[in-house]
Amino acid sequence: MTADLSLLLPLAVLWPMLLASLSLLPGWGPRMVTLLPLGPLPGLAAAVITPRDTPVALPGILLDGGLELTGTGALFLGGAALLWFWAGVYAAFYLRHDGRPTSFALFWNLVLAGNLGVFIAADIISFYVFFALVSLLAYPLVIHDRKPASMRAGTVYLVLAVLGEVAILVGLMLASYGAGGAIGIEAVRAALALPSTHPAALGLLIAGFGIKAGLMPLHVWLPVAHPAAPVPASAVLSGAIVKAGIFGLVAFLPLGTPALGAGTVLMILAFTGLFLAALLALGQAGAKSVLAYSTVSQMGLVMGVLGYALAQGSAPATLLPALALFTLHHGLAKGALFLGVGLAPTCGRAWRWGLMAVLAVLGLSLAGGPLLAGALVKSALKDPAGALGATLIGLSALTTALAMARYLAVLPRSKPRRRPPVLMALAFLALAGAALWLPWLLYADLADKSPLATDLRAQITDAWPLGLAVLLIAGAAAVGLKPPALPEGDALGPVQRRAAALTVAARAAMRAGSRSLRRSRPKPQTVIAEDLDRVEDIFREGAAAAILLLAVTGAILASVLI
Amino acid sequence: MMTFAPLLLVFLPLVAAAVSFALPERLSSWRNAANLGVAFTKLLVVAYLLNATEAGLVFEWRYEFLPDNDLVLRLDKLALLFVTLSVFLWLMTTIYAIAYFDRGPNLSRFFGFFNLCVLAATGVAMSGTAITFFLFYELLTLATWPLVAHKGDDKSLRAGRIYLSYTLAGSVAFLAGILWLQSLVGAIEFAAPPDLTGIPALTLTLIFILCIGGLGVKAAIFPLHGWLPEAMAAPAPVSALLHAVAVVKAGAFGIVRMIYDVYGIGTVADLGLGLPLAALASVTILYGSVRALMQTDLKKRLAYSTVSQVSYIILGASLIGPYAVIGGLVHLVHQGIMKITLFMCAGALANRMGIKAIADLDGAGRLMPVTMAAFSVGALGMIGLPPVAGFISKWYLGIGALQSDAAWVVAVLAGSSLLNAAYFLPLLYRAWLLPPPADRPAIRELATTRDRMLILPAAVTALVSLGAGIFASLPFSPLAWVTLIAEGGYLR
Repeated sequence: MTADLSLLLPLAVLWPMLLASLSLLPGWGPRMVTLLPLGPLPGLAAAVITPRDTPVALPGILLDGGLELTGTGALFLGGAALLWFWAGVYAAFYLRHDGRPTSFALFWNLVLAGNLGVFIAADIISFYVFFALVSLLAYPLVIHDRKPASMRAGTVYLVLAVLGEVAILVGLMLASYGAGGAIGIEAVRAALALPSTHPAALGLLIAGFGIKAGLMPLHVWLPVAHPAAPVPASAVLSGAIVKAGIFGLVAFLPLGTPALGAGTVLMILAFTGLFLAALLALGQAGAKSVLAYSTVSQMGLVMGVLGYALAQGSAPATLLPALALFTLHHGLAKGALFLGVGLAPTCGRAWRWGLMAVLAVLGLSLAGGPLLAGALVKSALKDPAGALGATLIGLSALTTALAMARYLAVLPRSKPRRRPPVLMALAFLALAGAALWLPWLLYADLADKSPLATDLRAQITDAWPLGLAVLLIAGAAAVGLKPPALPEGDALGPVQRRAAALTVAARAAMRAGSRSLRRSRPKPQTVIAEDLDRVEDIFREGAAAAILLLAVTGAILASVLI
Repeated sequence: MMTFAPLLLVFLPLVAAAVSFALPERLSSWRNAANLGVAFTKLLVVAYLLNATEAGLVFEWRYEFLPDNDLVLRLDKLALLFVTLSVFLWLMTTIYAIAYFDRGPNLSRFFGFFNLCVLAATGVAMSGTAITFFLFYELLTLATWPLVAHKGDDKSLRAGRIYLSYTLAGSVAFLAGILWLQSLVGAIEFAAPPDLTGIPALTLTLIFILCIGGLGVKAAIFPLHGWLPEAMAAPAPVSALLHAVAVVKAGAFGIVRMIYDVYGIGTVADLGLGLPLAALASVTILYGSVRALMQTDLKKRLAYSTVSQVSYIILGASLIGPYAVIGGLVHLVHQGIMKITLFMCAGALANRMGIKAIADLDGAGRLMPVTMAAFSVGALGMIGLPPVAGFISKWYLGIGALQSDAAWVVAVLAGSSLLNAAYFLPLLYRAWLLPPPADRPAIRELATTRDRMLILPAAVTALVSLGAGIFASLPFSPLAWVTLIAEGGYLR
C-alpha cells in the first residue's frame, strides 16, 4: 500500500506535464485552460497521504534521480498545490476568453510541474531540472499580455533568472564535488558544511536562490514581473514560485554547523529587505506592485531567520517546521490578496464592502494581527530568530500593516452594479479561508502544543506596532497625506538608464577611436566585429602558410621552454 | 562476422556512392531509394554491433598494407560511439537532403560524395592504426570539398578553396607528426599504445604539437578555426553534417585518440601538455561565443557556436580526469545531435521563407512552429539548460574540472553558458514573440507547400537530444555508453 502511495510523487510532476502536452493538440488550448485546476491534484494528494521520508527511485532518469517527500517539503508542496489549484479555478474563468490559451495552459502546467518538483526532488540534478522549469518557463506567463511594460518586465525577469541558474549550477557543482561527486541533496548539504568544500559554493547558492526569493538587492525583477502577469499567474508567482527559492535555501543551507560569514550577510540583507521593501511598497501606485513588494518584505523575514540560524548553527528541527508554516500562510494569504485585485472591479456596492473586509482580515493576518493565523505563525518563528530577530519581526508588523493599508487604498475601483463571478469569488474565499484556518490546524502537529496554549495575552500586548500603524494610517487619512510615487523595481530604472548611457558612451568612444584610425565606416557599432573579421580574413587568405608557420612557432616555443 | 563487420560498414556506403554516381539525374527516386536503403541497413548493422560490443566482443579487420604498416579497422567501444552517431545522423541528413534539394542540379554528384564522406567518417572512427586513421582522414577532406563547393558560385568556390588550404596544411602537420613518431617507435596501434619511454621530452612535445595542431584545424581550435564560418556557403545539409559529425568531429575524435590511445594520459600529464591544451580549448570556447554574439547571419552565428562547442570535447579530453573524459566524449554525441537540429532548422527556414539574417527571424515561430520548437530545444541544450542533453555534458565537465584541480574551468563553463544564452535567447525571442514582417507568406500558403520530410529529421533529433538528457542513465544512452568507455581504460 505504501509503495502505491509513493507513486503519487512522480505523478505529481508527470500529470501536469501530460496536461501541458495535451494543450499542444490543435484546438485544445481553450479546453486545457478550463482544465487548469486538474494539474495540482496529484501533488495535493501526495502532500496529504504520501508517507514521509520514503525515497522513490527513478532509475534511468537523469543521473539516476529520485524523489522524496520530507516533512518540510510536504508543507511547501501542500501549500503550493492548494494555491495552484484555486488559482487554476480562478484562471479557468478569468482567462476563458483569452487570446492565447495554448501558451497559457502549456506554460502554466510546465511551471506547475517544476514548482511542485522542486519540493520533492531527492537529488540535485532533478532539483536543478525542476528549478529551471519553474524559473525560466515562468517567463511566458510574465509576458502573457505582450504589453510593452510586460515585455520589459519579462526581459529583466529572464536576465536575472539566467544569472540565477548559472550561479546555482556552479554552486551545485562545487558542492557536489565537495561531497565526492554525490548528488543526493542530503550529502550535498552536508558537504556544504565541510571546510574542504570550495567557499564560493555556499555564496553562489545563496545568491542564486536569493534571486528567486527576492533577496535584496537581487529583488529588482520581482516588483516588475509579478504585477505584469495575468492575475492568477501573479498569485502563483508571488505565492508559490518564490517559495521555490526559499525551499532551495531550506534544502541546501547546512543548518546545524555555524557559518558565521554567510549567515550574517544573508541575515543583514534579508532583514534590510524586510523593512525597506515594505516602505517602498508605500510608494507604489498599483495594487499588484504593492503586493509584490510585500512579498519581498515577507520573504526577507523568512530569509533573515534562515540567515540567523545559519550563522548560529541552530539545528534544522528547531526552525524548519515554523518556517514552513509561515511560508504556507504567506503563500495562501498572498495568493488570495492577488486574486482580490482581479475581483475588485467586479464587486459593485455591498460586494465591495465584503471584499474589503476579507482583504483587510488577510492583510491584518499577514501583519500578525492578534488571534489571527499570521500572529500564530510569527510567534512560532520568533523563537528560532534570536532576540534581535524576534524584535525585528515584531516591529515589521508596523511596516506590513502600512503596506497592506496602501494595498487597500489603491485597489482598483469597482464598476457599479456588477456581481463577482461565482468561480472567482469561490477561489478567493477558499484561499482566504485556508490561509486563516490551516495554520491553526497544523500548528499542534508541528509545535507539539495546542495553538490555544500560546500566550494569547502576549500576542495582544505584542501587537503594539499594529496599533501604532492604525494611528498612523488614521492620521495620514485625516490630513490627506499622499505617499511619494515610486517606480516599480526601485533601483532598476536608474541602473538601466546608467547601463544604457554607458553603452552609448562606449559605442561613441569606440566610434571615435576607430574613426581616428580609419575614415568613414558604414556601421560604426560593429567595428570590433569587422576588425576581427578582417584579421580572420587575412589569416584565411594565407591559411596554409600560416598554419605551418604556427606549427613551427609552436615547436620553437616548446623547445625554448623545455 | 567477427572480421567482416567493420568492412561491411565501409562497404555499404561505397555501394550507395557507386549507385549515386552511376544513376543519371532523372532517376532521382531510384537514387533516393538506394541512399535511404543503405542508410537504414547501416543503422540495423550498428544496432547489432552495439549489442555485441556491449557483451564484450571486439570486431577487427586487418590487412597488410605496407611492410609493418597494417591497415586495421577495429570496432572498440569508442569507435562504435562515433560510428553510431554518424550512422544515425547520416540517415537523418539523407532524409533531410532529399527533401531539401528536391530536384536540384548535380544531385548524383552530391549524393555520391555524400556517401564517400560517410565512408570516410566511419573509417576514421574505426581506424586501428595511425596510418589507417590518416588515410580515412584525408579521404574525408577530399570527399567533403565537392560538397562544400556544391553550389558552384564564387562564394562556394572560395569557401572550398579556403577549406582545402586549411585542412591540407593541417594534414601535412599531422602526417609529419605521426611519421616522426613512427620513425621512433614503429607502427602505432591504438589498441596497443607505443612505448614512449626513452624518447626525449622535447621530441615528444614537438610531435604532440604537430599532431594536435594538424588535427586542431578540423576541430576548429582557435586560431585554426577560420575555415569553418566560411564553409557556411555550403548547402544546409552539408553544413549540418560538417558541424555535427563529419569534419569537426573527426578532428576532435583524433585528438581524443592522440591523448588517450597514442600518448596515454600518463605521458601527457608528465609532459605537462594537458593544461596548455585545456587553456587553448577554453580560449576557443570563449572566443567562439563572443564571435557568435557579433554575427548577424543565422548560419554564421551557428558556425561560431560550433567553434565554441567542439572545444568542450577537447577541454574534456585534455583535463584528464574521469568525469572530464566522460563529459568531453558525451558532448561529442550531444553536440552532434543538438547542432544538427539547429542547422537543419536553419536550412528549413531558409528554404521555406528565405530567412538568412537573424533580423529576418521575426515571427518564424508562428509560421513554422514545429521547426522553431525543434530549434528552441537545440538552442536551450546548447546553453546547457536541463533537461536537454547539453546540461549533462556541462555537469560532467564541471565536476571533472574540479577533480583535476582546475576550478577556473568552471568559470569558463559558466561564462560560456551566459554567452550562449546571450546569443541564442534573442533568436527565440524574435521567432516566438515578435510579429512576422508583412511580406512573409501566409500560414495557409505555407501549409500547401509543406514537406514533412524537411521538418521530420530535425524534430526527431530534437526529441533525441531531449531524451539523451532525460533518460541519461538508461543503458545505451550516450552517457551510459561513454561511461562504459571510460571504465574500460580511460580512468587510469
